[in-house]
Amino acid sequence: MATGETTAPGNTETEEQAQLAQTAGSRSIVVDPDLEFIRALSRSGGESLKKCFQCGTCSASCPLSPDQNPFPRKEMAWASWGLKDRLMTDPDVWLCHHCNDCSTNCPRSGQPGDVLAAVRQQSVHHYAFPRFFARWVSKPAFLPVLLAIPAVLLGLAIRFREPIGNALGFTQPAGEEIIFSFMPSLPHWLINSFFGFFVSLAIIMAVIGLVRFTRGLNGSSVWGEDPQPVKGVFSSIGSVLLKIVVHDRFTSCETDHSRSISHFFVLFGFLALSLVGFWVITGPSNPLIRSDFVYPFSFWSPWKLLANIGGLAVLTGCLLMIWERLYFGHLAGTSRYFDWSLVWSLFLVVVTGFAAELLHYLRMVPHRHVIYFIHLVFVFALLIYLPYSKLSHLLYRTTAMVLAERFGRKAGEGS
Amino acid sequence: MNPDAKPILVVGGGIAGMTAAVEAAEVGYSVVLVEKEAFLGGRVIRSYKYFPKMCPPSCGFEINTRRIRNNPRITVHTLATVEEITGTVGDFRARISKIPRYVTGNHSLDDTITEQLGSERPDEFNMNVGTTKALYYPHDTAWPPLHVVDREALSDADMLTLTETAPPGAIDMGMSAEEFAIDVGAIIIATGWRPFDAANLENLAFGQCPNIITNLMMERLAAPGGPTGGMILRPSDSEAPRNIAFVQCAGSRDENHLPYCSGVCCMASLKQARYIREQDEEAKITIFYIDVRTIGRLESFYHDLLEDENITFVKGKVAGISEDAGNNLILDVEDTIAGEKPAAQFDMVVLATGIVPNTADVPIPLDLEYDEFGFLDGGTGVEGVYSAGCARHPCDVSTTTKEATAVALKAIQDLNR
Repeated sequence: MATGETTAPGNTETEEQAQLAQTAGSRSIVVDPDLEFIRALSRSGGESLKKCFQCGTCSASCPLSPDQNPFPRKEMAWASWGLKDRLMTDPDVWLCHHCNDCSTNCPRSGQPGDVLAAVRQQSVHHYAFPRFFARWVSKPAFLPVLLAIPAVLLGLAIRFREPIGNALGFTQPAGEEIIFSFMPSLPHWLINSFFGFFVSLAIIMAVIGLVRFTRGLNGSSVWGEDPQPVKGVFSSIGSVLLKIVVHDRFTSCETDHSRSISHFFVLFGFLALSLVGFWVITGPSNPLIRSDFVYPFSFWSPWKLLANIGGLAVLTGCLLMIWERLYFGHLAGTSRYFDWSLVWSLFLVVVTGFAAELLHYLRMVPHRHVIYFIHLVFVFALLIYLPYSKLSHLLYRTTAMVLAERFGRKAGEGS
Repeated sequence: MNPDAKPILVVGGGIAGMTAAVEAAEVGYSVVLVEKEAFLGGRVIRSYKYFPKMCPPSCGFEINTRRIRNNPRITVHTLATVEEITGTVGDFRARISKIPRYVTGNHSLDDTITEQLGSERPDEFNMNVGTTKALYYPHDTAWPPLHVVDREALSDADMLTLTETAPPGAIDMGMSAEEFAIDVGAIIIATGWRPFDAANLENLAFGQCPNIITNLMMERLAAPGGPTGGMILRPSDSEAPRNIAFVQCAGSRDENHLPYCSGVCCMASLKQARYIREQDEEAKITIFYIDVRTIGRLESFYHDLLEDENITFVKGKVAGISEDAGNNLILDVEDTIAGEKPAAQFDMVVLATGIVPNTADVPIPLDLEYDEFGFLDGGTGVEGVYSAGCARHPCDVSTTTKEATAVALKAIQDLNR
């Protein structure tokens, strides 16, 4: 048992514990360390957390940390004490952009940047639905299973395309004018229905996670007593999106500016590809483009151009990220499987995408079919596993930033 | 007592070396004391006050110099370094080299001689706050009580002036370096320490902001013989600072700099806070710390300061310092007990830097066992060779003198085997 300086206990306490805390005095909290959580943090990149001696250098040097209840010193204490509930509901771990100014200045090699990354990974586990899937995504041992799932599902879809098509009312060629079919066994309607179905499923899972997450964050003690919103929800969302677009969080750090560049490339490449994907999937029924909608797009179609530019941007960003993580690990922080799996899956999606495109123009059959199939497997892994992978930061971090914006929790003046 | 005993070589003429020398000599053994500076006293003679007694080191120092002066068994070599050591316990040979002082000591020199010189050198005695002439008297209580010529700083024109105006025989610019060997039976390493170079602490802006000083500079500012005559004034405008911050562990307990705790900087800052408050009852002091390490009886000194309303203790290590247009300083720090980053501005900041052994820079010319930081902690690995004081580990004066006395006995035992 240890005593702290905060009055409001952040743990879910048993009644007995609450009584204990009361008798111990109003400035005491009962610490109920979750030892398994400490071990889980250590395993996922936070093994240095016990080196921390609470000097506060990290909070003082963090350019994003607010003046009140700054991070990450308090998170280091909570992690060390195994206060899982506090960390899971803590918006600050998501306000951190892992620039590593804290880790660089840490006098003890406590690597607060890496510890916070580990907390975020645990947070994804904590809020994900279903939870076991998040465990699979973060463990290399399950990689074959995770890749087998889309491969088998796609294989089944191809095998049973006729009954599926009949059931959905598609007959080949249906709802589209095919000039040159990319892969006759995998017609566009089938890809669209297949991804449409699983993306919708993933969105439902993501929403469940996000609702749990938002509830959790609202109960955090870091907002202070009786927090009042200083901004409306939509205006908060607007400000946050603008911050994300200009990457201003990234560029305020001193240790590693290059991260903002690689992230910029990957984010905007990914958004461009997502937009094209959305357009293509919805194309046949989209009144905006229906008039001249023809599969496949010509090379000079604006959509194809956008997709190629987006792909190149992701590829460039990924290569930068891989380079940074391999050769500047002391600046970029320690990269774990959780981090690498996102970088590599993005990389493999664009590499197989470009390869399929190239083989298509070269009219190489069946190579292009094989590569295209692999490409779709990686796309599935990237998109459908989003609520469980590091890519979920897209949702969680944005939500935490919106809440912080709404409750006026911003970086300190002096920083 | 062995009548054929060879002398004991003591390397370093600070408080450790002086203590070891007088302790051994006063029981009848010969001692050769080798000091690289032009005077004895080392770091201690640069201090304004001792903690916890708050008395000036100069009075104890005067007693020690008298004991050395009156004891024919002690030979002192200043401006001297040990170049080579060979042999084994009971039978070492040390080669000593001495750089010339150029001042004979046959005639006294006064200020009218030094003042006419143009050549100046950094005032190393005063932690480089200000300069002295190239012919200078080291400090008020210097022993030996002789001027020194800094040959490298002296211009040719000034050399001519000196030979023309100094009393005949007082200065001999023809003096050359000496080198000689001595046979000794045991060796005491008392080479002491230097402060950690605060210029390495880029985030703490030392050297970039004039009003950021180190703890040793503070000692000189406060000392009557210092550059300000004992007035604590901030460097940018020579105003008395009213609001002073102490940054503890400036580079210490930090794997990026000095991973260890020097053990004395907390008490040094508390001592300085106390004498600042004694000099200026309006002065406000804030001490930023990780832990206040005042061991044993020293803790009551800390508790006394906690009673002072003008002294605030903030638990949090300072991560960065910047200055405003008026040379006031702004600290990046988290008050880890309040859980907030205070907006704090100060007139002057004192960095409490730690202790680096001189042996980390220049090892003893003998194959000794240093720890990873350059200290001769515990045994030296060579029989008949001992370490004392800050050559051994970071420590305060009282520990140093006890160790020096203890190793004097160890050396005497070697001479009697």
